[in-house]
Amino acid sequence: MQIRFVLAALRKHRLATFLIALQISLACAVLCNACFLIVQQVHAMRIDSGVDEARLGTVKLSGFDPKSANDFNARVVDALRHVDGVQSVSVISGVPFGEPGVRAGIGLDPDYKQFGGVIDFYLGDDHAAHDFGLHLISGRMPSPDDYMPVTKFVPSNAPVLITRTLAEHLWPGQNPLGKQFWGLDTQFRVIGVLDHLSVSQPGGSEAKDPDWSVFVPAIAGPNLAGKYLIRAQPNDMPRVMREAREAALKAAPDAVLDTDQSHSLSRLRHSYFESARVMVKLLAGVVVALLGTTALGIVGLASFWVTQRRKQIGTRRALGATRGDILRYFQIENFIIVSFGILLGMLLAYGLSLELMRSYEVPRLPFGYMPIGAAALWILGQLAVLVPALRASAITPVEAIRTL
Amino acid sequence: MLEMRDMSKIFRTEQVETHALRSFDLHVREGEFVTVTGPSGSGKTTFLNIAGLLDTFSTGAYVLDGQDVSDLDDYARSKLRNRKIGFIFQGFNLLPDLNLFDNLDVPLCYRRLKRAERHQRINDALARVGLASRMKHYPSQLSGGQQQRAAIARALAGHPRLLLADEPTGNLDSQMALEVMDLLQDINRAGSTIVMVTHDPNLASRAQRNVHIVDGRVAEDPADGTIRPRPVEGTA
Repeated sequence: MQIRFVLAALRKHRLATFLIALQISLACAVLCNACFLIVQQVHAMRIDSGVDEARLGTVKLSGFDPKSANDFNARVVDALRHVDGVQSVSVISGVPFGEPGVRAGIGLDPDYKQFGGVIDFYLGDDHAAHDFGLHLISGRMPSPDDYMPVTKFVPSNAPVLITRTLAEHLWPGQNPLGKQFWGLDTQFRVIGVLDHLSVSQPGGSEAKDPDWSVFVPAIAGPNLAGKYLIRAQPNDMPRVMREAREAALKAAPDAVLDTDQSHSLSRLRHSYFESARVMVKLLAGVVVALLGTTALGIVGLASFWVTQRRKQIGTRRALGATRGDILRYFQIENFIIVSFGILLGMLLAYGLSLELMRSYEVPRLPFGYMPIGAAALWILGQLAVLVPALRASAITPVEAIRTL
Repeated sequence: MLEMRDMSKIFRTEQVETHALRSFDLHVREGEFVTVTGPSGSGKTTFLNIAGLLDTFSTGAYVLDGQDVSDLDDYARSKLRNRKIGFIFQGFNLLPDLNLFDNLDVPLCYRRLKRAERHQRINDALARVGLASRMKHYPSQLSGGQQQRAAIARALAGHPRLLLADEPTGNLDSQMALEVMDLLQDINRAGSTIVMVTHDPNLASRAQRNVHIVDGRVAEDPADGTIRPRPVEGTA
């Protein structure tokens, strides 16, 4: 019943009402979009790479003569296998969260009339599939006959293990086993489907989905050399990697060790998402600061209005308003202002989302975030106004009457 | 209607204890128009605040319209104030953000009256004080006299059992003061009980009964024949 009186009073204080509502609307717009971006980043950081990260490490060497790649590979693999704690070593083209390996656009026909997207190709020798810990959900793992030398970037007419996500994208609702696709001037045939195998740079590559990748069995040689996958016990990983780097350099003293990429996969993942973590912290800081500023704005305005309306509050109490009536008056007033701000904020949030989509290629803000942002601001508003409202309700009528 | 027995009101600070009312006895019957006079600091306003349930008292008893209100809590006092008492203040105390109609509607809303009844009461009250055509006006758009008449209408709309007026003509010129006084007398003739605090002996003399307070006690009250020696004005 007090809503009419609150609205009438707010009409008389349009500027202050509009300014605080504007502040709330900005908070709402930023809150919705920041929360969405935070959730996206957190979701991206929790990606399932599809490999046994805790047990894996990689060593990358460069600067060797490709003509002696077979000898080079043999020396390094042998040296790495002799490191205490190393369970297995394989030659690979890349790892999740490492440098981009082989990446190319594929088609569902030789002429690429049906473009299938840009995907990552992980090449690995006959130990790699096992060492990676790939989880096959249908089909079979590569047999010894499936391993072929790499001609240029990949083996010709190679059998592949494809991820479930990519298979569903290429052949929706169909059994992908035996299906073919083309890329890198050759043809690939699906022999197995993997639960997951993330691209090397999830969220940062041209792949539209972080799980658009395939494993290609290959024989180590001139076009598959210099990158090694090490498998060891998780708790032994730091020591194993330290000794593996030393052993690799000792085995190939003329080669250059890539110190950025020669680490455990856990560390590579940590490094890869460093900027995402910073962004999450920054966004969270912005959200907290914005909500804090908004709450202080509400407290400030409500406190000012309580002081300004002290006489009115006394008059209302003299006319029969209970403490609850006074408390409710300020709560209703805050609810109306915040609701107005939220309404404006939702439009702003949507506009901001469109701008972010256009400028940074982020997905559109899902509508579900708007009621969450609204609820957060309603709760914040009610909490912020509580202390001034309780102070107002505690004003005794005679106290106010004395000041008349 | 209003009965105060052996009432006292003591204001305490850390160092000083001030007796605003002491052994205060007053009985106002239904339908009476009583004025309360006294020098500054005599306890007139304290009496009115207690009578209007705006303030509590230290000792004694207070019966309002047959109900002992001595031990009521804040919520019950608010409800009783809303239902039984109408206030007319020296400074009018209209809510500046609301038009006259809404100003009259506020106490009726606190009473949870239905919309139709509220509207009827507001229209009747504004018509009675001659402001029916000004119901959409804001207080700032009215003269002092009109504002006080609006405040009277607000009190009347609640159909109070007791009307308490604190220097209702204090902020008005003499012509307007007379008009307001005439209005209060009309209201009293229609059956309302009025207790009015005033400094003005001429206005006080227009009431049926004038109670004079000095030093927090009833010094003169024609109703019970109380006559105590009056101190010189301003020394109380």
